[in-house]
Amino acid sequence: MLEIAGLTIAVAERDILRGLSLSLDDGKFTCLIGPSGCGKSTVLRWLAGVLPDTLAASGRLTLDGAAAEAPHPAITYQPQTDALFPWLTVAENAALGLEVAGVPRREAVARVTPMLAPFGLEGTAGLFPDALSGGMRQRAAFLRTIARGGRWLLLDEPFSALDAVTRIRMQRWLCDRLAAEPRGVLMVTHDLHEATALADRILVMAGPPGRIVADIAVPGPRATRGEADLAPLHETLKSLLLEEEDR
Amino acid sequence: MAPRLHPALLFAAALLVLWEGYTRLTGVSPMVLPGPSGVIRALVAERQAIARHAFSTIGVATLGFSASVCFAFATSVALHFRPWLARGLIPIFVTSQTIPLVALAPLMILWFGFGLLPKVLLVILVTFFPVLLSLLSGYAQVPRDYLDLLASMGARRRLIFRRATLPATRPSFFNGLRISATYAIVATIFAEYAGARHGLGIYILAAKNNFRADLVLAAVVVSAGLTLALLGVIQLVERLTARGGRHA
Repeated sequence: MLEIAGLTIAVAERDILRGLSLSLDDGKFTCLIGPSGCGKSTVLRWLAGVLPDTLAASGRLTLDGAAAEAPHPAITYQPQTDALFPWLTVAENAALGLEVAGVPRREAVARVTPMLAPFGLEGTAGLFPDALSGGMRQRAAFLRTIARGGRWLLLDEPFSALDAVTRIRMQRWLCDRLAAEPRGVLMVTHDLHEATALADRILVMAGPPGRIVADIAVPGPRATRGEADLAPLHETLKSLLLEEEDR
Repeated sequence: MAPRLHPALLFAAALLVLWEGYTRLTGVSPMVLPGPSGVIRALVAERQAIARHAFSTIGVATLGFSASVCFAFATSVALHFRPWLARGLIPIFVTSQTIPLVALAPLMILWFGFGLLPKVLLVILVTFFPVLLSLLSGYAQVPRDYLDLLASMGARRRLIFRRATLPATRPSFFNGLRISATYAIVATIFAEYAGARHGLGIYILAAKNNFRADLVLAAVVVSAGLTLALLGVIQLVERLTARGGRHA
């Protein structure tokens, strides 16, 4: 279990987040939604250990009950862009996390190469990212995230730059991947349909200062969720967000 | 399909024709303004002497430029990792660029003699700053996500610099290199002009003193050729060392 307790983040005396606490269960997919500027990405950046120096943070992180500090090997962060390095091949990009962990580059590349096919990237090992489509780039970024081996994935709007069709394909693909290799996920998204399609649980944030105003379990397994079943949930989420925006 | 001529070649050819036409039609003295044909004749006639001096200029420019690039890189790394050093030194570097070369070059000769050192120092002074600036601005423009990604993986500053900052700075570095390269030959010639035994600068000075405008211009043609050759070498190195797509 991953737990955050009393997280407050401030910039120049102004709180961005105030006393935020949450806990995430192993292997569960949690989406963080809320209006722009409420601090969703800031939560992820704090968990990833990449908060800018200009922000002051206080709060406690625990993993399975033990105090932890970010960045942590069990937590893997994927920023808003795919952040593939254009000067590295697809395999070298995918192997980056292993390399940073101290695995020699050749060995790291050898380890990730067999993982390319299950990620729909067969034959791309030696290609540079410019040669890939948007969806393939995202899959390469996911491969880099998964190959690093953390139990927790922090995804910051991973599909926001994709066209509608590719986005749906990638959402389905991510569900399949997570079924094959379960991970706890905390994903920031602005898309309510994406949140209800993917998440086991949705945390609604409001702010600033950012705080969690609702914690909603999404009913039923992902595979069996239909648009009609989710319509009442969409309405609830929409009302919640509008209510908070008006407040 | 007919081969397409480069627009720059067409303009250059047009300028040469206009220049030649002007000198022939107006009958201006070749001692004042020789036509392109006169310059080429002088270049061919004096090719051995000009080549000897040009080799000396190439040596000084290459040495100075290489030292400048190494010095700029080492300085940029120091300034990147020690921001207080940047705050202290950058104003000094900026001020150094405001010193008129015409004042500094003779002083360099006075302090360090007619040898290699004052000329190399002058080339370093002129070419160092654009390379340094291009590196520093390149470091500052590395996409935040690249740095965050590595930091979230637990990479330390040095590793982040090596794996993300340096490669991402490549395009900016080569731009700075190109700007500096255009100054390198000119700065060398200026240093030689202020005092030297060999080099295109001293050759130009001697030709000017002998009222040989054709030889002055012949040396200018060679100097332009050397600068273009240096730019070509830089482009070649950039292409040969490129990895990946247009951002690499």
